[in-house]
Amino acid sequence: MACMWYPIGFTVAANPSAAVVKINEDGTATLLTGTVETGQGSLTILAQIVAQELGIATDDVHVVSADTDATPMDTGAIASRTTYVTGNAARMAAEKAKLTLFEVAAPLLGVKPTQLEAQDHKIFVKGFPQRNMHIGDVANHARVVSGQPPIGSASFNPETLALDPETGQGKPFGTYVYATQIAEVDVDDETGEVEVVRVVASHDCGTAINPMLVEGQVEGGVAMGIGFALEEEMLFDANGRHINPNLTNYIMPTSLDTPDIEVDIVDSYDPTGPFGAKGVGEPTLVPTAAAIGNAIYDAVGVRITSLPATAEKVFKALQAKREQQPKQIGAGVPQNGGANGKPAV
Amino acid sequence: MADKPKVVDKPDVLQRPDILKPQAPAPLVTFPVEVVVPEGRQQTPAVGQRASRADGRLHGLGQTKYIDDMYFPNMLFAKIKRAGIASALIKSIDTKEAEAMPGVIAVITGRDIPCNSFGPSLKDQPVLADTRVFHAGDGVAAVAAVSEQIATEALEKIKVEYEPLTPVLDPLESLKLETPGIHAPSANIYGHKIIKKGDVEKAFAESDHIFEGSFRTQMVEHVPLEPYACIAQWDANGRVTIYSTLGRITLGRADVGRTLGIPMSRVRIVATVVGGNFGGKNEIRAEPALALLSKKTGRPVKCVYTRVEEFTSSTTRHPLIMDYKTGVTKQGKILGRKIRLVLDGGAYCSWSETTLGKACILSAGPYNIENLHAEAFVVYTNKTMTGAMRGFGAPQVCFAYESHMDDIAHTLGIDPLEIRLLNAFDEGSLSPTSQKLHSVVVKESLLRAAKLFGWNGLGDAGSGNGA
Amino acid sequence: MVNVTLKLNGETRSASVPPETTLLRLLRDQFNLTGAKLGCDVGDCGACTVIVDGKPVNSCLMLVGQVDGREILTIEGLATADHLHPLQKLFEHFGSLQCGFCGPGVIMSAKALLDENPDPSTQEIRDALGGNLCRCTGYTKMIEAIKGASCILRGEEVPAVKSA
Repeated sequence: MACMWYPIGFTVAANPSAAVVKINEDGTATLLTGTVETGQGSLTILAQIVAQELGIATDDVHVVSADTDATPMDTGAIASRTTYVTGNAARMAAEKAKLTLFEVAAPLLGVKPTQLEAQDHKIFVKGFPQRNMHIGDVANHARVVSGQPPIGSASFNPETLALDPETGQGKPFGTYVYATQIAEVDVDDETGEVEVVRVVASHDCGTAINPMLVEGQVEGGVAMGIGFALEEEMLFDANGRHINPNLTNYIMPTSLDTPDIEVDIVDSYDPTGPFGAKGVGEPTLVPTAAAIGNAIYDAVGVRITSLPATAEKVFKALQAKREQQPKQIGAGVPQNGGANGKPAV
Repeated sequence: MADKPKVVDKPDVLQRPDILKPQAPAPLVTFPVEVVVPEGRQQTPAVGQRASRADGRLHGLGQTKYIDDMYFPNMLFAKIKRAGIASALIKSIDTKEAEAMPGVIAVITGRDIPCNSFGPSLKDQPVLADTRVFHAGDGVAAVAAVSEQIATEALEKIKVEYEPLTPVLDPLESLKLETPGIHAPSANIYGHKIIKKGDVEKAFAESDHIFEGSFRTQMVEHVPLEPYACIAQWDANGRVTIYSTLGRITLGRADVGRTLGIPMSRVRIVATVVGGNFGGKNEIRAEPALALLSKKTGRPVKCVYTRVEEFTSSTTRHPLIMDYKTGVTKQGKILGRKIRLVLDGGAYCSWSETTLGKACILSAGPYNIENLHAEAFVVYTNKTMTGAMRGFGAPQVCFAYESHMDDIAHTLGIDPLEIRLLNAFDEGSLSPTSQKLHSVVVKESLLRAAKLFGWNGLGDAGSGNGA
Repeated sequence: MVNVTLKLNGETRSASVPPETTLLRLLRDQFNLTGAKLGCDVGDCGACTVIVDGKPVNSCLMLVGQVDGREILTIEGLATADHLHPLQKLFEHFGSLQCGFCGPGVIMSAKALLDENPDPSTQEIRDALGGNLCRCTGYTKMIEAIKGASCILRGEEVPAVKSA
């Protein structure tokens, strides 16, 4: 097994994100964000955050991203920061647009703006859900009657404190995530080949904005971690030239190398994140190699101290271990390294 | 910029029997239009829903447009010549023969870049290597031609004269102060970080047991399925639009503006959906070079890295050498820990400062350790530049501290789960930098994983199966 | 130049191209079918997988001369004018693709598998995808979706998937 901690955002340095939310005349919305979708699903997450704030559905939020002309600045899809930093900015921008709607709806519902809530496509009086207006009606009224188009812009930067140059003490990150992974391996003690047969991954991401996407990140991260642990290595010759700059000889995990990955999301809530969310992109591969290394030790009693734990390395370590064992002569004394019938954990 | 674009439409060039002439795009039929919205996307409240991605349907139809799927009229194709030598002075670059090739429209070298240096922190990386080569994947010239094939052939015709230097490949060699500086005249150590808390030597003196362990990790690459791709084109107002697989477009725009010496308001960077980043596409690569080629030729220019270039000329993960010394009580409680990390910082700084900082801060593990001394160095070597890769040093140090933890547990005969529960952070614990931690759930993750797995105590080494 | 005629997604198409042109380049540059991707151009990654006469192939490894007169199915030919293919439906629904770049290749490999083996086991699915590299997903949700699609094609109910 292996556990880990990992920070969200940049080390001390400012890494802000800005966002703009415009509410359309029918109560649907558009989010402008400078972040870049790199496959992790950030645009879906941001849409869910904005939708939550406005009380509408994910599909009601259209996301426009990644154009320096049209979208506000973003420090980027890096350091697992998008859900937390850009998410906070998007939520705050949506909140500002929503407050315009509240200002428009309040006199129509006969209350103050602070007494209003937005949920299920409606704007209603807190505690009196029957006194409501459809968000589309309010948004349309805002434009054609009040002349107040609902648009909000906001930015967010995690709170940090610079590290002391002598002692490194300070507050480098806004928040951290935690995780444990347990791997089960099969080691062929004649060839040294390691097969990962099972991985259980229990990850903290704060509130899981979208559990399906969190699972996807964990599954992908564990696969990358398996490659890091057992297969991948960039090799150079004595002159510094690349030996294997291709996918024939740079071995990375295929569908045949990865087991079914069991994902567990730890219950957690971070008050500094949007609706309690933190992040998950990078942490997913952090503990995998250690979990596999520890599983190899548990299986065959050899400690691999350098990655990747290739079959050759494991085989050599097994050979060295066998050579060190004094030969046991006598009935009923089992040799280490062979199958002795006891099930391992 | 006085060069006029060469006349390209010589009748013979594109009639070469081995050249595939790119067609103007045929109209694309975009059906089916299924207006059924998946339930997860329609539900409120939105947070917590298993909502499918908006681009999921387009992905499955093959309709997502990545940059290599984009085609502009009159577009040229660019290729970059790679040094192939790990450390050298560049004595001369002769591009005349390449320029004269039919179908080649422009060739540029580092000399053509107005401000030939960039980097997220230290600006030590050239767009194209000008006087020195620092790793075998360094780009030394860029060619724009009417087809990818001609551009690739033109690279062979570019003659570069090198004066080879002895490359430094071992980070421990590079760490020694007497090793000649790679980015001379500075020493090879270009980053240093230290975290000190309590009194680690006193803690060791009070410990029942001292454990030491040394660990190493290797250089790996992101291997996004989509290789780097970029298209640059100008309008008559002197504005350049760059489509790029860049993950940080705000920084990218600033870098393009600075390297080309133009105001940021004249630069537009657009990223489409990127086919995987993992940290490797977080700084500019050939954008300024392509912008220059586009300006010189008056045509859009596209560059797509080959898979080989993805390995030789894009950032990689820092290899780490990690030495740990831990003092524990006989119950397994950690009293003190001393750590030394040496990061192989490759040819250029890239994201090394961030990696150095994170690796150092995280290196003690998620454990309450009152007496700590963690010191980390990053050094130059003449290998592919090491930069941001998913985890920034965390996977490496986790491999070390968790392997180390199990070694301690096994030697003391303690369950690996129990020893972690004994030492792990709680809500409000202080981190190695004395930050009070909130929303801490490391123990919960340990217990949940153990339960789900069916963990039943100290394993039995020797049966071929292990966990 | 060589002339090549083939049945592409049900339509007869022709082209006159240099003989060294790969099927991948023919599809992308001549017919503007950019679903098949260039991930490595040497047959290592499978992002260019299409189906030729019922078999999944790396189109970057086939020359145009080898496909003359043959039947090619690409990702663009999978959906009908009215409906997504069950593979496409479930890949969307289960979140099986993230960056999506490997997607067309994976889906074509899966289609070829299901055409030959309508009720594949998990291991058989893993074997069929063995030549398609994916860096984002870890393959888990792809396998779930392919299993589910096989159920739909057999007229059975799709089993619920495990969720965290």
